[in-house]
Amino acid sequence: MRKGSQIVLDCLRAEGVDLVFGYPGGAIMPLYDALEGSGVRHILTRHEQGAVFAAEGYARVTGKVGVAMATSGPGATNLVTGIADAKMDSVPLVCITGQVRSALIGTDAFQETDVFGLTLSMTKWSRLVKSIQEIPEVIAEGFYWARSGRPGPVLIDIPTDMLKASIPFGGPVKFTPPPTRNRMKLSECNETLIALLQQARRPVALVGAGAKLSGAVSEIRQLLDQLNIPTFATVHGLGAIEPEAPYYLGMVGMHGTRAANNALHENDLLLVFGARLDDRVTGDPTRFAPESKIVHFEIDPAQLDRVRPCELAVLGDLAETIPVFHTSLQHAHLPDWSGWRAIACGPERAETDPRGLAQPTIRFLDELFSRLPKNSVIVADVGQHQMWAAQRYHSNAPRGFITSGGLGAMGFALPAALGIQLARPEATVLCVSGDGGIQMNIQELATIRRLGLPVKTVIIDNKYLGMVRQWQQLFYQRNYAETDLSDNPDFVEIAKAYRIQGQRISEEAVREYPVSRETGDTLDQFLRSPEPEVLVFDCHPEANVYPMVPAGAALSEMLFEEE
Amino acid sequence: MHIFHIRYRNTQGTLMRILTATSRRGIDTPYVQAEPSGHEYKVTLLMEVNQKQLGQLSRDWFAIVDVLDVHPAIAVQDIADHTRPPRDAVAATPHAPTSAVLPTDTSSQPALA
Repeated sequence: MRKGSQIVLDCLRAEGVDLVFGYPGGAIMPLYDALEGSGVRHILTRHEQGAVFAAEGYARVTGKVGVAMATSGPGATNLVTGIADAKMDSVPLVCITGQVRSALIGTDAFQETDVFGLTLSMTKWSRLVKSIQEIPEVIAEGFYWARSGRPGPVLIDIPTDMLKASIPFGGPVKFTPPPTRNRMKLSECNETLIALLQQARRPVALVGAGAKLSGAVSEIRQLLDQLNIPTFATVHGLGAIEPEAPYYLGMVGMHGTRAANNALHENDLLLVFGARLDDRVTGDPTRFAPESKIVHFEIDPAQLDRVRPCELAVLGDLAETIPVFHTSLQHAHLPDWSGWRAIACGPERAETDPRGLAQPTIRFLDELFSRLPKNSVIVADVGQHQMWAAQRYHSNAPRGFITSGGLGAMGFALPAALGIQLARPEATVLCVSGDGGIQMNIQELATIRRLGLPVKTVIIDNKYLGMVRQWQQLFYQRNYAETDLSDNPDFVEIAKAYRIQGQRISEEAVREYPVSRETGDTLDQFLRSPEPEVLVFDCHPEANVYPMVPAGAALSEMLFEEE
Repeated sequence: MHIFHIRYRNTQGTLMRILTATSRRGIDTPYVQAEPSGHEYKVTLLMEVNQKQLGQLSRDWFAIVDVLDVHPAIAVQDIADHTRPPRDAVAATPHAPTSAVLPTDTSSQPALA
């Protein structure tokens, strides 16, 4: 005989889970009671949102399923932001919540919330377990859907009486997926794609998160090496393309590079590899790439034709579809695009040296990033620092830049960093946050301290909710309504209260280029320390992120510092 | 008005996921009928959508794990006569929701070039 709680843990082990993040409470206590000796290590965070973001960080950097646990009611609702984040950014995640006992469901019992109903629109799959016997099947199926196709979040809600009850248990089961729905031969797409390429005069390629999620980075790099067409990446596609590739133009979108945005606006054939074409990438959708025909390689049918009908949709795993296309292209005669490439990748469209009020912050990030070992992972929170970090990230590590890109959830970075550090103990994990975002989950410094994780946390402190303030400056006549954080606590002292070394660096220290030896030593020591560290960078309150495509504008209508 | 027939496995929440795809867009659904259909289930929805919403909804529904197929059709006045749409009334979405699959016969590859 085995208890439901033991069965849950047995099934997690069978799915390869050895690490979960969570926070205990009444309805899920039986599961916590069974943890010891189960082979599943539990990381106690200081908030359920910290747990789900940590599980996300773990999943994003490994490609494995992240697991978060919480109790019913407020424990479950505190997971919701992380679930929505995982949905937007295609993160394989399984959340297990305790629920009030079966007899009380629907009675507004203490700590009862309909988390199943609450999360229906943001989970890929979910179940409220109705009998202890179905636990093995539910867990097997949940993990299958979390990691299959376009990965996503799964919720499994288990009433506490089913965790306590016992049944004879024959062991974990395997889920047999249903047969694949309508399929078409890839060869039919091949001919169309080649014809489109042969007609194209200004082809470009956009690489998104799908390149990494499918494990097709190498295949896409080889394909693009052959095509040699101007290429850019979404924020989640960063690292998928070698930054030194002569055809690579950097990040595209609202804060993308001048070259990337111009090429995306001017092309006549757009090859999209695993990207959603959301509004931060397209700008005004009615004026997006007006002359472009779109070829969309995508695994999720819901993502097709969101901007406008594409010319060719190739539904499938990039790891399967790209090699077939690449092979067929070997025999195709393609036009000479060198003239177009020279324009799109030419020096007149190159990034200008950063200037203005943001220059010291950019210098600081450049200095910091240049000192990172090759195996590093940068975790950015949400706001101006996120975009500066994305703009200055020049690594070819596919899973080396992690951020909440789709949902844009402030408070993501610190707990995600601890999950990443646990997954990659050998890596330097650099958390780049802002003074607003860090305070949304700052309690996770306690988790980092308890575990002795050498997470390096940088706080870009401009004493504002910087990105909102930037919009207020540019589009709301400098009405800085409720974005002033000038009464921030001293983050160095806060770090010390968590028994973490904290220090501060001023803009003056990085105005010189290269920086002084003293400043360089400070940065080196910060990154090399075997202990968790916090470094506060005092940023000018009115530093802005440029280029910027205003909301509702076309990609070609970028704002620059000098304007 | 458009009428949609969606076949699905009647697992927990699948019908609700189908409906939230419309409610999140603020689309009124004046008629909904769910019923068994052979070994599976079928839901019929009537709603006013534009061409873009028609394509997006079809794909959103198709992306739901336990949805088996989606048939959008042009609706006419009397819903009672059209719970099963005539074949010629089926409206084509911009792209059929089909998955690419590797060709089983790789020897045919050179012929594609």
